[in-house]
Amino acid sequence: MAAALSSSNHCCSKSPAYSSSSSSSIGFNQSLKNVQFSVISRKKLGSKNVSLQSKCTPLSNAILMQDGALPTKVPTTSETPLKKSKEVLSPITSPEENKAPIISDVNNSKSTVSITVVGASGDLAKKKIFPALFALYYEDCLPEHFTIFGYARSKMSDAELRDMVSRTLTCRIDKRENCGEKMEQFLQRCFYHSGQYDSEDNFTELNKKLKEHEGGRIANRLFYLSIPPNIFVAAVKCASRSASASNGWTRVIVEKPFGRDSESSAALTTSLKQYLEEDQIFRIDHYLGKELVENLSVLRFSNLIFEPLWSRQYIRNVQLIFSEDFGTEGRGGYFDHYGIIRDIMQNHLLQILALFAMETPVSLDAEDIRNEKVKVLRSMKPIRADDVVIGQYKSDTRGGVSYPGYTDDTTVPKNSLTPTFAAAALFIDNARWDGVPFLMKAGKALHNKTAEIRVQFRHVPGNLYNRNFGTDLDRATNELVIRVQPDEAIYLKINNKVPGLGMRLDRSNLNLLYKARYSKEIPDAYERLLLDAVEGERRLFIRSDELDAAWKLFTPVLKELEENKIIPEYYPYGSRGPVGAHYLAARYNVKWGDLGVDE
Amino acid sequence: MAKLLSNPCRNSSPATFSSYHNDNNYKNLCCSRKINALPSITHFSKWAPRILARIQTRRRFELRSSNGYPLNAVSLQDEGSAANSQTEETQLSDSGKGDSTLSITVVGASGDLAKKKIFPALFALYYEDWLPENFVVFGYSRTKMNDEELRNMISGTLTCRIDRRANCDEKMSEFLKRCFYQSGQYNSEEHFSELDCKIKEKEGGRPSNRLFYLSIPPNIFVDVVRCASTQASSTSGWTRVIVEKPFGRDSKSSNELTRCLKKYLTEDQIFRIDHYLGKELVENLSVLRFSNLVFEPLWSRNYIRNVQFIFSEDFGTEGRGGYFDNYGIIRDIMQNHLLQILTLFAMETPVSLDAEDIRNEKVKVLRSMKPLQLEDVIVGQYKGHNKGGKSYQGYTDDPTVPKNSVTPTFAAAALFINNARWDGVPFLMKAGKALHTKRAEIRVQFRHVPGNLYKRNFGTDLDKATNELVLRVQPDEAVYLKINNKVPGLGMRLDRSDLNLLYKTRYTREIPDAYERLLLDAIEGERRLFIRSDELDAAWSLFTPLLKELEDRKIAPELYPYGSRGPVGAHYLAAKHNVRWGDLAGED
Repeated sequence: MAAALSSSNHCCSKSPAYSSSSSSSIGFNQSLKNVQFSVISRKKLGSKNVSLQSKCTPLSNAILMQDGALPTKVPTTSETPLKKSKEVLSPITSPEENKAPIISDVNNSKSTVSITVVGASGDLAKKKIFPALFALYYEDCLPEHFTIFGYARSKMSDAELRDMVSRTLTCRIDKRENCGEKMEQFLQRCFYHSGQYDSEDNFTELNKKLKEHEGGRIANRLFYLSIPPNIFVAAVKCASRSASASNGWTRVIVEKPFGRDSESSAALTTSLKQYLEEDQIFRIDHYLGKELVENLSVLRFSNLIFEPLWSRQYIRNVQLIFSEDFGTEGRGGYFDHYGIIRDIMQNHLLQILALFAMETPVSLDAEDIRNEKVKVLRSMKPIRADDVVIGQYKSDTRGGVSYPGYTDDTTVPKNSLTPTFAAAALFIDNARWDGVPFLMKAGKALHNKTAEIRVQFRHVPGNLYNRNFGTDLDRATNELVIRVQPDEAIYLKINNKVPGLGMRLDRSNLNLLYKARYSKEIPDAYERLLLDAVEGERRLFIRSDELDAAWKLFTPVLKELEENKIIPEYYPYGSRGPVGAHYLAARYNVKWGDLGVDE
Repeated sequence: MAKLLSNPCRNSSPATFSSYHNDNNYKNLCCSRKINALPSITHFSKWAPRILARIQTRRRFELRSSNGYPLNAVSLQDEGSAANSQTEETQLSDSGKGDSTLSITVVGASGDLAKKKIFPALFALYYEDWLPENFVVFGYSRTKMNDEELRNMISGTLTCRIDRRANCDEKMSEFLKRCFYQSGQYNSEEHFSELDCKIKEKEGGRPSNRLFYLSIPPNIFVDVVRCASTQASSTSGWTRVIVEKPFGRDSKSSNELTRCLKKYLTEDQIFRIDHYLGKELVENLSVLRFSNLVFEPLWSRNYIRNVQFIFSEDFGTEGRGGYFDNYGIIRDIMQNHLLQILTLFAMETPVSLDAEDIRNEKVKVLRSMKPLQLEDVIVGQYKGHNKGGKSYQGYTDDPTVPKNSVTPTFAAAALFINNARWDGVPFLMKAGKALHTKRAEIRVQFRHVPGNLYKRNFGTDLDKATNELVLRVQPDEAVYLKINNKVPGLGMRLDRSDLNLLYKTRYTREIPDAYERLLLDAIEGERRLFIRSDELDAAWSLFTPLLKELEDRKIAPELYPYGSRGPVGAHYLAAKHNVRWGDLAGED
């Protein structure tokens, strides 16, 4: 504990505003973890700049080595530089965070976290947020003292909320024991408060209730805004004015959409910033919480064999592919207003692209990573309308079953031109990626449900086999596929010889299928992101300048599509999408990897 | 016809062989090429069109593309020569339509190798329809036997492919009908001329090609070659001789052997077999390197920290140590098999896949290496051991081995290639008998990630968890690449996983034995996998000084228990070069 004290003091003196962040040095955390991990590691709530924190398991930082050597655990002193970069990057600090940490770290066991789910009766809350919170609790990842509040307009009692929530909770498939018991304990900590989203009075009542549960402990508060965007600001205003923590941090998680173009997004940010500091805002992009997206950086930066290949010199193109095998199915109201480009591309796919293409960050610290991501976004030119293909699904009848088209959805205007499919070519004008097409494709009501990153390598220069055989080996290039969902996997397509007396070449996969290697259930993206928010780890959340840069890329083309009322290319429900996507790819001499025969 | 083809290259020295191919003396090989594009093509050309067609089928090069393009299947030969062979073939086949024949004589037919490997490989080739329509197999050795007895003997070891059992018995008896036996002394020209008569009889006047497989002790190589070449060479086709190791026991004896062989044979009649080069994954090594963009950029000292060639057997000499004791593991495995794989691994990109181009590059690697130093080698010998109530004999307990033998049954060595690509990269070799596993593999360990971000944050020694590419030659052929990735879950744990290609899960077909490939290549005149004289010479130059020193100074091997992981000295040798053996780590 002395270590914690001194470390936090040290940082206090350097940047008082961030003292909460410094409470756990990694090295310290590690050394303690081995002794009394279960309590200690979970108590480091304010440690927001510890980028790779130990989570939940005592082994969390272990590296398995084939060499049989024991990993040496050396306490690192890498904190100071991180601190400095922080000071520079986000000079504005929250008043709440100013006061809290000094105390909270001294007296860990007396701090508490209140998580308020605003919009608790909504779908996302039921399907994702409460189950994720329970999973964190079940895995012992939440602090000892925590309270969960549901807040929504519906009139409900605590018991009714619990009843509603309990229906969607599940225990991990691989760890079922005590499930019922744990669930019961969790539900006991769930409460409900009904109120209007724009009523400061109602939030004051909430504040009172929260205080009751906090019982005088150091209180940190996390608000999860699971509400429509038009009431974001009102809710933030009320929450921050009337229900902020008085002696701990207050953080707000916001879900997309973050505006619908540069202006509205900027306006939203300005409004939020009236009530919140930059580092209180946690813009969630749940794709960044996916296991294999997290793994992307690990693959790149902890394997020698990939980094040398990670440039225009070896990579011919990169494909970011998202598809769903269902349409709006009666819930098109929100979607029709946004369309697939805003719903998937401008955020999820672009975020993955930025992570993929960024230069090596100075460290794994959130600010360093986000700085690099912003650099990528700023090196890109706004997308040209020429480089975008849009589509909309139409009805189709197959095997006697008929599938409705997009505009058959009663919640969608009959004449809607909103794209349910889009493909786009993007370019990054920097030294590493000049001329390499980054293709994105996203669509609803397609033939499969998948999300993947495909890296197609160039042909082998002067290929011996090509020269001698006259076969077009240039088309059989290497390809690295990172499949985010379903069935997480990484595979590298290589050419090898088919065993036998002849000389036939064949493409095989060097394969790592997660479910074959890791029997553990992979946690939902929301679990990771909620935990990160609780811990103040901002790596996977989107900073305002990042959001701004992202909108700049897409706003002009979105405007053009809408102003010119560009008619989407229609494709049948359940098909492979409009053929326009192929022509777009062909223009840049690319073939979609997901539509090849061997997939 | 033969004369017409061979004229431009006629050798001035009156070769004892009458075959026109004789003339393709190594020196003026290029001259023959100008005319015939490839020497091998001319060999083909003597064959019946059907055979040629089949060979081209075999060489069919197909590639499945993920991109959905139907890729063209084109034959292996480069376009020019393929075209050439077509035209030649038509010319020639006019004269000898379907009439050429192939005789394969296994000299030393009663021996172990012949029974276990050569006859079964020949049968497998026949079974898979790789052999020409007209072929005969002759067994030759001193043992008195008739054809029937030979057939009896070999039928015991023939098997049909596991994946294609149909007609097995029928095929087997057809094959056996083509097997004949001639007994005779290995140094008797008279007996070989009797053999010649018998072969002629079977050839029935057709243009004939003859392949001799010398499966005999090295001391009678030259005698047999002399007798065979003077008495039993083909008069109307090619004559080739396959020789098995040992090719001498040092530079001098190897040179002597080569010199003697060359008295009777020209360079391109000699097929020095190294059966490791016929292994599937060794063949695949070049494919991996040269047809994948992702590997070639990494293939140098910039990214590769060290390369390991590992061979181990889990049994000792077991009463058959007589031959072995005279050679030892360095000559038996390292100087040939492992060194050959090393050169294939390390060579520069050849101009083409043609045999001469590849062998030129291999020789360059060998010539860029310095002879091995004694301090870079450790030797070991297994001793008796009791395990689980069972007792295993030590090497010197073998009655066929002298009691005071210091012959190494284990050796590890560090080699260096002093060229721009590999300067400073240790190439480690390890070979041993009576170890805990049976395996052969190539391990490529990559350097650490410079400025590893994860290392910085964790303080964990990620430098030990470097990437590694493993080509497992046997058993269970596989290619895998060890990578670091994140263990799924909320924490940030890194883990080494394998990007894996296990052959038996992807390819259900049985993988052919190395001998099948090599025999077929010899029949087809494809020399890629055979060792050229200058290659052999360069290989011996590397090892001879060391072997001499070991023997002159009677260096005592480090003893290790039968069935163990070998002497610990191997670890110290690796440590000296800052390497860890990949095969002795926990996870493998």
